[in-house]
Amino acid sequence: MKKRLPLILVLVTGIFGAVTYFVPHHSIQAVDESVRNDVMRIIAAFSLVLGLGSILQHHFNKIQRKAQNWQYSWITVITIFVTGVIGLFGGIDLAHPGVLPTHIGGFSFHMQTLYMNMMVPLGATMFSMLAFFMASAAYRAFRARSFSATLLLAAAFVLMLGAVPLGRMIFHPLPSFAEWILAVPNTAAKRGINFGIQLGILATSLKILLGVERGWLGGG
Amino acid sequence: MGFWKKLQSIDRRWIYLVIWLVVMLPLIFPFRIKSVATPPVKSLFTYIDTMPEDKALIISVDYTPDTQAELQPMLVALLRHAFAIRRPVGVLAMAVPGLGLGEDAIRQVTAEFNAHAGTKADSIINGRDYVYWGWTTPPITVMLGMGQHIAKVFPIDYYGRQTESMPVMQRLKNYDDAGILVSIAASSMPLSWINLAQTQFGLHLGCGITAVSAADYYPYVNSGQFTGMLAGMKGAAEYEGLLEQCMVKNGMDWHLRGKGTEAMSSQAAAHLAIMAFIIVGNIAYFVTRRRKS
Repeated sequence: MKKRLPLILVLVTGIFGAVTYFVPHHSIQAVDESVRNDVMRIIAAFSLVLGLGSILQHHFNKIQRKAQNWQYSWITVITIFVTGVIGLFGGIDLAHPGVLPTHIGGFSFHMQTLYMNMMVPLGATMFSMLAFFMASAAYRAFRARSFSATLLLAAAFVLMLGAVPLGRMIFHPLPSFAEWILAVPNTAAKRGINFGIQLGILATSLKILLGVERGWLGGG
Repeated sequence: MGFWKKLQSIDRRWIYLVIWLVVMLPLIFPFRIKSVATPPVKSLFTYIDTMPEDKALIISVDYTPDTQAELQPMLVALLRHAFAIRRPVGVLAMAVPGLGLGEDAIRQVTAEFNAHAGTKADSIINGRDYVYWGWTTPPITVMLGMGQHIAKVFPIDYYGRQTESMPVMQRLKNYDDAGILVSIAASSMPLSWINLAQTQFGLHLGCGITAVSAADYYPYVNSGQFTGMLAGMKGAAEYEGLLEQCMVKNGMDWHLRGKGTEAMSSQAAAHLAIMAFIIVGNIAYFVTRRRKS
């Protein structure tokens, strides 16, 4: 039963999910709407609780065991609680205050202030590092070693130049050529790959629905 | 070790320094490079610009702060466009970390328009001209539910106000009232909008995506599933260029800052530097290989 029940649940909900796309009858659509608006939201809320519980448990364990870099776990735990409290009880900004006072004189720690001054610069910093790594990798690894590599290199040159307005200044038809590469050969290749991926997804989904593929049940 | 050999194994910190300089210097000493709009950008701009007056623009903020440098200028430009032509606007976020970015862009653009407004009728007012629904989950519930009744999916907006009673919501009940939905994303979320909202409800879609993922979206632009596409910071700069012309034509010569356009000089310099690195790296490789043989 431990294995059979999840399989039955997947089969029933999976088939029902597909049926709603093909049967416009109001009874089916009403059930579908209820599942989407109520059941799925409840499941999503539970997954949030599960995720929060899991991350807290992981970090409390790390702190308890004094595992490597355990000090940073305190930062995660404190940040979760502080942002959680401000998010729930503090305001969005000065114009939309909450029940919790979130400014002292000119110093404000509203959700939006925290977000714009911490999340945004931290996220942008992490992502912007890619430019440095990419430049270094391009210098070291992008070599015209073979015909295919040279072709790739040439296409990359055209696209890189075409992707900035300077490309048009250097050679007027360059951006149009870059656009053609993306719109024609790239599209053809992408469509082929996408068809393959979608057929693979369809086959795997059917295998899961029909219980042929049971890896997701766990237990090896 | 010869010069070319040394050049091949140069300390990567020199490369980092050059990239830092070529990105920073054009930002400190800016020079403007005029962008010419590509067909996907023109197509999206024209579609929004010629939407019937009763049709709304819906924008889905499907990105997070890490890609905001590329994508936030798109959100700002789209909001400016919709407010300039006085179309109702609905904004939602599919990613929780995108909520603050949506709020920031709305605050910036409404302040710009309200600074030039003479009367209350000219102003951009929350609940009357636009609504910020915020975030709810799961995406399938949002994408399908909005096709039937938006107020049911978002009973309250981001600021906790009832949406059903808002004047803008009388004009924006479901996808039938939307001219187009533009998903700005650094993920595959625009494709989910195609799968769920377009195939079921026939909703017109546009997308704003990072430059690195542009190649993945061209098949959908070519098939007409996306009416138009803004790819990377260049896409944002091109849209800003078209919008500036449109606003000047409508008597709104306000010289608003376009961050996409401003960053084009920096991006152009970085692209040229990377190309120079590749050329130098290849010359060094071929010279050392010839000497070896």
